[in-house]
Amino acid sequence: MEINDLHTFLYDYFTAHHCEIVLNQNGMLTVQLTEEMDRALMNRPFYWHYIKKMGHPGEPKQLTLITNPEKRDGKHEWIHYGSPRLHQIVNHLRDHEKYTKLFERVETYKNQALFPWLIANIKISYQGKQKKDEMVSIGLHLVNGTMRLKMMEELQYKELQNTISDYCYTITPMIKLHSGFKRIEKVLETYVDDQDHDWALQSQKTMAEEIDLLSHFYKNKTDEETMQKEISEIKKRYSPYIKFDVINGGLFYLAENAV
Amino acid sequence: MRHIDIQKDTSFVNEFEETLHTEGPFSSWKLFQMNYQAALTTMAPSFEGLKALDYLPQMDFMEHQISSARKAIEEMNGRAILADEVGLGKTIEAGLILKEYMLRGLVKKALIIVPASLVNQWAKELNEKFYIPAVTFRKSYPWDQYDVIITSIDTAKRSPHREQILEQDYDMLLVDEAHKLKNHKTKNFAFVKSLKKKYCLLLTATPVQNRLVEIFNLVSILKPGHLGDYDSFLKQYGKDRNSLKEDAYLKQLVQKVMIRNTRQNTQFDHIKRNIETIWLDFGSEEKKVYEQLDNSTDTFPAFSKITLLRELCSSREACYLSLKKMINANTEQKVEPITTAIEQLPQHVKAAKTVELIKQFNDRKVIIFTEYRATQVYLQWYLKENGILSVPYRGGFNKGKKDWMRQLFETKAQVLIATEAGGEGINLQFCNYLINYDLPWNPMRLEQRIGRVHRYGQKNDVHIFNMAIRGTVEEHIMTLLYEKIKLFEQVIGNLDSILAELNINDIESEIQSIFSTSSSSGEAKIKLNNLSSVINLTHQQAEQEEHYGN
Repeated sequence: MEINDLHTFLYDYFTAHHCEIVLNQNGMLTVQLTEEMDRALMNRPFYWHYIKKMGHPGEPKQLTLITNPEKRDGKHEWIHYGSPRLHQIVNHLRDHEKYTKLFERVETYKNQALFPWLIANIKISYQGKQKKDEMVSIGLHLVNGTMRLKMMEELQYKELQNTISDYCYTITPMIKLHSGFKRIEKVLETYVDDQDHDWALQSQKTMAEEIDLLSHFYKNKTDEETMQKEISEIKKRYSPYIKFDVINGGLFYLAENAV
Repeated sequence: MRHIDIQKDTSFVNEFEETLHTEGPFSSWKLFQMNYQAALTTMAPSFEGLKALDYLPQMDFMEHQISSARKAIEEMNGRAILADEVGLGKTIEAGLILKEYMLRGLVKKALIIVPASLVNQWAKELNEKFYIPAVTFRKSYPWDQYDVIITSIDTAKRSPHREQILEQDYDMLLVDEAHKLKNHKTKNFAFVKSLKKKYCLLLTATPVQNRLVEIFNLVSILKPGHLGDYDSFLKQYGKDRNSLKEDAYLKQLVQKVMIRNTRQNTQFDHIKRNIETIWLDFGSEEKKVYEQLDNSTDTFPAFSKITLLRELCSSREACYLSLKKMINANTEQKVEPITTAIEQLPQHVKAAKTVELIKQFNDRKVIIFTEYRATQVYLQWYLKENGILSVPYRGGFNKGKKDWMRQLFETKAQVLIATEAGGEGINLQFCNYLINYDLPWNPMRLEQRIGRVHRYGQKNDVHIFNMAIRGTVEEHIMTLLYEKIKLFEQVIGNLDSILAELNINDIESEIQSIFSTSSSSGEAKIKLNNLSSVINLTHQQAEQEEHYGN
């Protein structure tokens, strides 16, 4: 589910933010920003501050992005993985698209129940001498306690919306949000505990070696303060740890046979 | 395995509950998925490798830069001395390492200490090449306001900055020209050592020829104890590198914290320097004025006379202007005839030859270096007379003007005429023809000139043309100094440390005094010859000791 076509990704991003697509050619995208998007992306807070103060509605800019490097023209922005613009968009997504409540879209004329799921996308970072990340998309059925992995992959072709379909009703969760989330964390803890942690052992070994060298270096000196400072730097650099970082999550109401 | 600390995300569930309570705002399914996709794309699924390479598609890294960055991160765990020879792109390696750590979320706060003259260039390179939002230090910023700050050590160590900086916890400390920290008794050294840092990169071009104790000091910033403690190190290896014998163990240790690429072991090697010395003769009138000046021993102090002679070899204008400044009641009678004679001189032989050369190069870009402002102005005029468009470049230009001139040169003008001060900092890889219109007396400055074009990013062989006039001081400098130490052919990246080794602080005044204290040109020749022999010898010794780094 990684981004594999940046052009489509950007098209979807601006469309989802209700920006009019002025031009969508091979490798080039021009959008008319909305005020909200202009404020989010164009770095001109003073413009918006003064224009509003003067009672004008303001004029959001158009933005042209080149996604195909062959089409670079020197006039418009080339956007690519790593360009500040994409970085900005990714951060905007990160900050604004964290929580959701969604309902599966169901076409029905009979009453239909939708069951509550807590879904969390969690990035697990393993930090030793080096660092690596792993993503886990996990779902918990808040009535019967069933747990599923790869939820985002499972759901990607489903139609989900922010409002409930006609004739549908929701089942009230039996498991409270907090305890549900604790269950998810518990499962992740077991998951990481069961792994081989050679990376952490290596890191601890290097840490011990460097602290040992350091104490030899300072053995004749009285500079205890510097030594403590440097020991703490070594610990900071090498102490292995694992970090759970929730990218986003939400309450999903899905039809019984959904997953 | 037990005892690995797990840091959980404590804010998510509380904030989500709050959002449910307030009935939103909730993401749409599309945007929710897109955030997930973006997070999947930006994470680093492997301990190894450089994720940064995917993020910098516009950069054309050289093999050794990529392998150096990987080595610094994966083997040295982010604390390394980067000691490539001049022009191989240490800055690029450092930028790549910093970028990788930032992408992986391991570095947020970084302090970059560089020489004052390079602060702006570092900022430009990090921003433009690496999209690292680095700012240069300004009085109005508090030190905790920005994440990546570039400053000079003189600013940083001054109160009140010093106190504020020492309070920060830096994820990365980067020091350019770190050989200046070699002495552990200096305040600069103590200051850098006391900074709180996680990762640390020390950049230097000349670590190896330094006394071993200096390497010891650099290493003690990165990894104290790696080379043992101070006393036992001194006992074992001695203070003076000249007394050193090959020590395989020490070499191995140093290699664990130092990365050194040389032109010989990189792809860079295939870019050749083609050197051509162009010998010219003065016409009879010029020769007459030259001799007139040369014989006026009683009129000018010896060192002024040498300068005037050098200037005459460069342009009438340079010499004329200096002479005008010297005229006073005492000298008027003797100087006047010379200035009058200069006024009668034809166009300079070098200028005519320069035009001839440039026309031979067809439309290729050419950079001309001269020592004198007056020559620069004259040449610009003379080239224009001959239908060649050129732009000037001087150290005194402000940054905006420098950038503009560089751009004009790249896009419009065929020729850039730079005076010596222009030698530092400007990168002109798109040009591979260089004319040394006159020669500086400091070989370091010559190396810097050539380094403008013969550097990382140069794709073609470099052609260097050196002009010298027979039977003048230029001939001595050319044959006895430059050709003898083979400066044009090989890069003596270590020249500054060689000179330091010989206790020559200012080679220019050294040569000046050779000329001014010699009673005949034969005597000057012998002395100059001796000087280059000593430089050669020291260079050879240094070469032998290179193995400590390579």
